[in-house]
Amino acid sequence: MTSLVINVNLKPYTVDVEPDMPLLWVLRDRIGLTGTKYGCGVGLCGTCTVHLDGQAVRSCALPVSSVGSKQVTTIEGLSVDGSHPLQQAWLSESVSQCGYCSPGQIMTAAALLQQNPHPSDEQIISAMSGALCRCGTYPRILRAIRRAAGGAA
Amino acid sequence: MKPPSISRRDFIKVSSVAGVGLVIGLYVPGCSGIQTSPVQPTPTTIPPTPTPEPDVFLSPNLFVTIGTDGSVAITCPRPEMGQGTRTALPMILAEELGADWTTVRILQADAGSAYGDQLAGGSTSVRTYYGPLRNAGALARKMLVRAASEAWDIAPEQCSVKNGLVTNNQTQETLPFSALVRTAMTYNPADLAPAELKDPSEFTLIGTSVPRVDGPDIVTGKAVYGMDVRVPDMLFAVVARSPVFGGTLVSFDDSQARLVPGVQDVVEISSGMNRGEPTRGVAVLARDTWSAIKGRDALKITWDEGNYASLSSEGIEKELLEHATAAPGDGELVAYYTVPFFSHSPMEPINSTARAGQKDCEVWAPTQNPQQLQSFVVRTYGMLPADAHLHVPLVGGAFGRRIEFPPGNAAPPAFHLLESYELSKYAGVPVQVVWTREDDMHFEYYHPMSVTRVSAKLDDIRTLTMRTSEGAGFGIPTGAWRAVTNVPEAFARQSFLDEFAAATKQDPVELRRPLLKDRQRAVLDLVAERSGWGSELPPGHGRGIAIHSTWEVSPCAEVAEVAVDDSGNIRVLRVVCAIDCGVAINPDMVKAQLEGGILFGLTSTLKAHITISNGRVQQSNFHDYPLLLMSEMPEIQCHIVKSTASPTGTGEMANPPIAAAVANAIFAATGKRVRRLPIRPQDLVAA
Repeated sequence: MTSLVINVNLKPYTVDVEPDMPLLWVLRDRIGLTGTKYGCGVGLCGTCTVHLDGQAVRSCALPVSSVGSKQVTTIEGLSVDGSHPLQQAWLSESVSQCGYCSPGQIMTAAALLQQNPHPSDEQIISAMSGALCRCGTYPRILRAIRRAAGGAA
Repeated sequence: MKPPSISRRDFIKVSSVAGVGLVIGLYVPGCSGIQTSPVQPTPTTIPPTPTPEPDVFLSPNLFVTIGTDGSVAITCPRPEMGQGTRTALPMILAEELGADWTTVRILQADAGSAYGDQLAGGSTSVRTYYGPLRNAGALARKMLVRAASEAWDIAPEQCSVKNGLVTNNQTQETLPFSALVRTAMTYNPADLAPAELKDPSEFTLIGTSVPRVDGPDIVTGKAVYGMDVRVPDMLFAVVARSPVFGGTLVSFDDSQARLVPGVQDVVEISSGMNRGEPTRGVAVLARDTWSAIKGRDALKITWDEGNYASLSSEGIEKELLEHATAAPGDGELVAYYTVPFFSHSPMEPINSTARAGQKDCEVWAPTQNPQQLQSFVVRTYGMLPADAHLHVPLVGGAFGRRIEFPPGNAAPPAFHLLESYELSKYAGVPVQVVWTREDDMHFEYYHPMSVTRVSAKLDDIRTLTMRTSEGAGFGIPTGAWRAVTNVPEAFARQSFLDEFAAATKQDPVELRRPLLKDRQRAVLDLVAERSGWGSELPPGHGRGIAIHSTWEVSPCAEVAEVAVDDSGNIRVLRVVCAIDCGVAINPDMVKAQLEGGILFGLTSTLKAHITISNGRVQQSNFHDYPLLLMSEMPEIQCHIVKSTASPTGTGEMANPPIAAAVANAIFAATGKRVRRLPIRPQDLVAA
């Protein structure tokens, strides 16, 4: 195990890890931030999505050694108080059923809106189609992203 | 059952978790003395807010507690897996109580027989608890009203209750609950029971689409699922299991596994099943999940593949078809419909956390069936129910996967609990067992494959007969999967009705109408009308209809509109859905269940299924069990028939009709009839 410092939600954390440990497990099991979820472990479902310097990445497939000094943002750090427009829109549109995929969906959508503040439906669907939901909340996810982007839901 | 004495507190239970810190459990007097506030070292979804006087409260039953500050806490008896129990069930009680919904706190019940049947399955939670929770809320209201009526020296009938206030109807004076609790606590609930219930026309909360109570915690990452449970000194474990169903452990070499950094121990434990008995697996205990996974990867294990090593889904299908096949009678139309094995694949894979103490234990399991898990611990490890605390975190999807069959049933018991409990006993600390996605897909119980024979005399649809040959008991674990037997039943019957309609040149809607009872027919007519049934569609497009009453209640009809191109690629453009489920406690949540059932069903209609070869499940993750994507979703329109009848359930209901609705739409679009799932492009371009 080596000692590494990573920046998560604007705080530095010193963690004692194997360099190949995926960031997902460092967050969940070492730092105790369990908002980022495990769904598949191979980058196929999106529940582990966090931001690395604002870019959406699948943390289950990202070795902690490659984080370096980049800023990691998890769902807990997306806003101080749940006030991010996507978090608010998620509630307005009653998106979540079980909610397990919601953090990953929100982080994926947040990165999209950061790069493209007013995406078309096609752009939203294209960006979000790799984020899986078993409960079937896709129609509401689309409406929430539209709402957060300032368009009509 | 003697009603609890509510004017004395019992005692505050203090327990120590692994010697680190104190965890407080609050005993609320109840028939069996079971805790209602779960003991949770992990942050709870809504932090318990102690009232200024935590020992003084009105609690005529296990489901509601009203503090001297007027705060209302409602305990949800059933697990929340996204179907909305933590919102709908408290709404029912809050309606009759007249509470201020915006300030109600929701607590989650541990396993406890005093709560009634806590199994969240069969679309029964609202159906089962509608009456009892109305009664519970109404009784508490009656006690508060009596206190107010005494204070004002008026008859109770001259009071009304809303938003935590009792109003003197004559003078419009109000008294908040906080002013009435102490007096109400002096009454014996038995003297006031039963309490009068509201007429449904008086409902102000039931029937409104209030937001789900867990939304704020979900979107901020604070919500605690089974995998998120964190207990001091805990270890994490993954288990190596026989890759072949029913295989047994011969030997293993853990020398490399023990060298993996973070691995604490490797030990053989019970897991899996062979002929009704648990078989052995190899567990890796580590300080974190990843190290445990890596440790398991480094194990060298020899398995005896056993009796089921040549099992294949192909072979099972062949047997089922032989079993089902019977020649048609004179003038009979006959068809066979095949549904394959399906995986549940909730997004949160199987897991549980156990602290197996000497005198007491705690388990945190994202389960549909808390009482089954508690009784497993009680029976297997000799705990008293009062000492076997089974906590229920949020469940990251279940769909029948987390029903935890009773031991003694031919289906497997809850292996994850066998594993986490044994490992905690062994290690002397709490242990969380995590099933990876591959484990979850390989070692679950599946929706069983089936072949259904449907026949009817062409001159009389009422002679329709169905017989399903089910692929259970072949050595592949099978079990309940969202709507269970309703799935092959609806696919077969509703597809056959369209085949019959085509053979006899009738419209599919007109054929069905006389076969249905009133509430069913109303639902059918509603979707036919709203979908524009009978109106023209472009070439390559088609509409198909299906209606089904899951568990013989809650008729649900769907019209699917599809487009099929020359390569057989299928797009489901739109689904119009209607249900009559009686009272809709929270209409938007009902719609969510309809959307959810449809989208869940579209994965199995068009995309993914489980195949078995050489005794092994061939699929392992979402690349070969592909779930429906957002880019594949149809537009969905939902309609709920207005009703004041008692609620009959919604959770499973939209799943059974969708496969036939789509198959019928494909037939309308292409003239091609497909009788097995999933329906694939190659099925539509075959010569």
